[in-house]
Amino acid sequence: MTMTKKGASRRSVLRGSAALAGTALVTPHFFVKNAWAQGECATVGNFPVEGPTVTFGFNVPMTGAYADEGADQLRALQLAQKHINEGGGILATLQPLALTGQGVLGKQVVHVTGDTQTNPDAARQSARRMIERDGVIMFCGGSSSATAVTRQYLAQEMGIVYMHGLTHANETTGVDRRRYGFRQFFNTHMTGLALGPILANEYGGDRAAFHLTADYNWGHSMSGSIKDATEAQGWNTVGNIATPLGATDYSQFLVSVLNSDADVLILNHYGNDMVNSVTQAVQFGMRDLQKNGRDVQIVVPLYSRLMARGAGDNVEGVFGTTNWNWTKDNPGALAFVSAFEEEYGFPPSQAAHTAYVQCILYANACEMAGTFYAPEVIRTLEGMTYSGDGYDSESLYRAEDHQSFHDILVVRGKAPSARTSEFDLLQIVDTVPRSVVEYPIDTFPGELGEYCPA
Amino acid sequence: MNDLFLTVLAGLQIGAIYAMLALGLTLIFGTLGVVNFAHGALYVIAIYAAVQVAINVDFTVALIVVPLFLFVVGVVFERGVIRFFYDRPHTDQILVTFGLAIVVEEVAKWLFGANNIPFPRPDWGDGVIIFYGPGAVIPPVPVFQEAPQLWLPFIDGFVTFDYWRIILIGVTIVAVSVLFYLLQFTRFGLIVRAGMRDSDMVQFLGINIARRFAMVVGLGAAIAGVAGLFGGPILGVTPDQGMKLLVPSFLVVVIGGMGSLAGAVLAAVIIGLSLAFTADNPDIQAVIIYLIAVVVLLFRPRGLLGRKGVFE
Repeated sequence: MTMTKKGASRRSVLRGSAALAGTALVTPHFFVKNAWAQGECATVGNFPVEGPTVTFGFNVPMTGAYADEGADQLRALQLAQKHINEGGGILATLQPLALTGQGVLGKQVVHVTGDTQTNPDAARQSARRMIERDGVIMFCGGSSSATAVTRQYLAQEMGIVYMHGLTHANETTGVDRRRYGFRQFFNTHMTGLALGPILANEYGGDRAAFHLTADYNWGHSMSGSIKDATEAQGWNTVGNIATPLGATDYSQFLVSVLNSDADVLILNHYGNDMVNSVTQAVQFGMRDLQKNGRDVQIVVPLYSRLMARGAGDNVEGVFGTTNWNWTKDNPGALAFVSAFEEEYGFPPSQAAHTAYVQCILYANACEMAGTFYAPEVIRTLEGMTYSGDGYDSESLYRAEDHQSFHDILVVRGKAPSARTSEFDLLQIVDTVPRSVVEYPIDTFPGELGEYCPA
Repeated sequence: MNDLFLTVLAGLQIGAIYAMLALGLTLIFGTLGVVNFAHGALYVIAIYAAVQVAINVDFTVALIVVPLFLFVVGVVFERGVIRFFYDRPHTDQILVTFGLAIVVEEVAKWLFGANNIPFPRPDWGDGVIIFYGPGAVIPPVPVFQEAPQLWLPFIDGFVTFDYWRIILIGVTIVAVSVLFYLLQFTRFGLIVRAGMRDSDMVQFLGINIARRFAMVVGLGAAIAGVAGLFGGPILGVTPDQGMKLLVPSFLVVVIGGMGSLAGAVLAAVIIGLSLAFTADNPDIQAVIIYLIAVVVLLFRPRGLLGRKGVFE
């Protein structure tokens, strides 16, 4: 059989097709925009993004116990949207940076909001509504580990990246870690690693501690981490009472502390629980008491400026940790704080900072990946090192558990006389470097799951 | 013994707040037959009013202004809302008052935020009280030397307790006593009690019972005002305080017997002590007041001191 000169034979067409297919297979996928969309997963969330805009979901507590944190997160997220679309803020300091201040991948960012109500069921419903009705490509924000974990599972199920807000329990990037969830905020284990040595240095190595612990997953995570960290320094844990979440009166628990040999009271509380417990501990004269020949001390492992404000003068001298503070003076922090203050007239909280950074990091990862296709964006974030996000040194998004590692701050409440403004409540005692709080991946069990939603 | 003493004190103080709120609830129910789920909202208004006056003016002024303000709020509440629901089913009353409570909570959140507003105590109520026994040596630090001290023979060494909470217990005893006196030994009380039995007959006698009923709601609100004044510095000033206190206070009313003032006080003491004595066992503490409610209602369906014919 001879080939005709006028056209391609069936065999040559087949050969050509095979060669083309072979070439496509060996070509690295990162050269091809949206390449994974055609091969890896059948469908992924709301990809592809149609039209001139892309929608982000800002899923924060607008009601409930953490409504003030939610409000601050919302302010920060709207600011992040503005900076992504128009430039400004940490776009001047973040490295590596692919964003140009003209949206993401040529699309302007718009947003929808949802109220988590600080309630896992409500948070999940709110996030689902954003995904199904509003077509968000990513959602971000929140306060409370219970709401974070439930939305993280939803994100995995629906193929939508979830950039966590404020969640501090180990489980979020431990046993409950998910491929579609990323946490910039630190965790209780890191708090223990940072705070333990400083407490021992400040108060001595043979203290007796009594814990009051909020009776839910974060509280128990916090209590366990601080117990491990302080006992490693030689402290003894003499008691631990689980207090109901949202308790208003702590007198019955504080009586047990007074009747024990404890000379340190550790309050594993957050939000109004922390405000109430630390205030009432001071009202019971804990700070003035002596036991075992030493002054009784109060420790609040996880601090928040918003809550320190609620507790007023009662936080004076009380140690704790925080993810970030507006008084940091590195270029990233200065850029964010000045932009936030210019927009809203007061400095941002740590809740605002984590939400802001998370939103910018996601947008930047999309721009770097050249696609909104979630598996590619996730791969871009995994193992990424970056700087200029408000910390003194480089940060890392660990690939294996999606936990961000960066400096964290050990702080103590300022005396009223030392404050320069109503927002200047926390004195930074130490900036604990990333190397100290970075722990081995096998510290907590857990599996991220697949890149394709399931 | 020290442990027991402090636990009893803690229980009485927990019960004190519940007692004051339950008194208002049961007073309004007993006289008007209205289940007022907005009573927690009155407490919320009280704590915000109290903290604003205490910060911007003085706590002593708040002592006078806040109960009076709450009395007015109560009267307006009765004239503007409650009176339209006297003859409606209890479910309607619950729905409208619960709705009002949510509105008040959200308005407070909108005006003041969800975070706590620190409530400064006046100097005369700040610090701790020291209870000491034979041979006790009080540490030579000013905060203890200047604190109120009380000798008790059964105390081993010395113990400290939040002084404001002792004041709260005292204020509750005074409030309860004044209310009992008002209802049992005054003409106003006589008319109100008569109105509770048969309001139509009282009106036939030419007495404006509607005005007395409005004053009863005002009185209940004023007690919530006192509760807010002395409870705010302990429990905090947040919009959700009313809802948090409402359920246990309502249970106190049910356990004590709907409409029974003495029952409310007795039940509040029982609830307070049971919460204090189960503090080391969170699982038991979480259900103890409901267990008490079940047991009491099984054996005394009208509550501890409930009367025949009320809420039946």
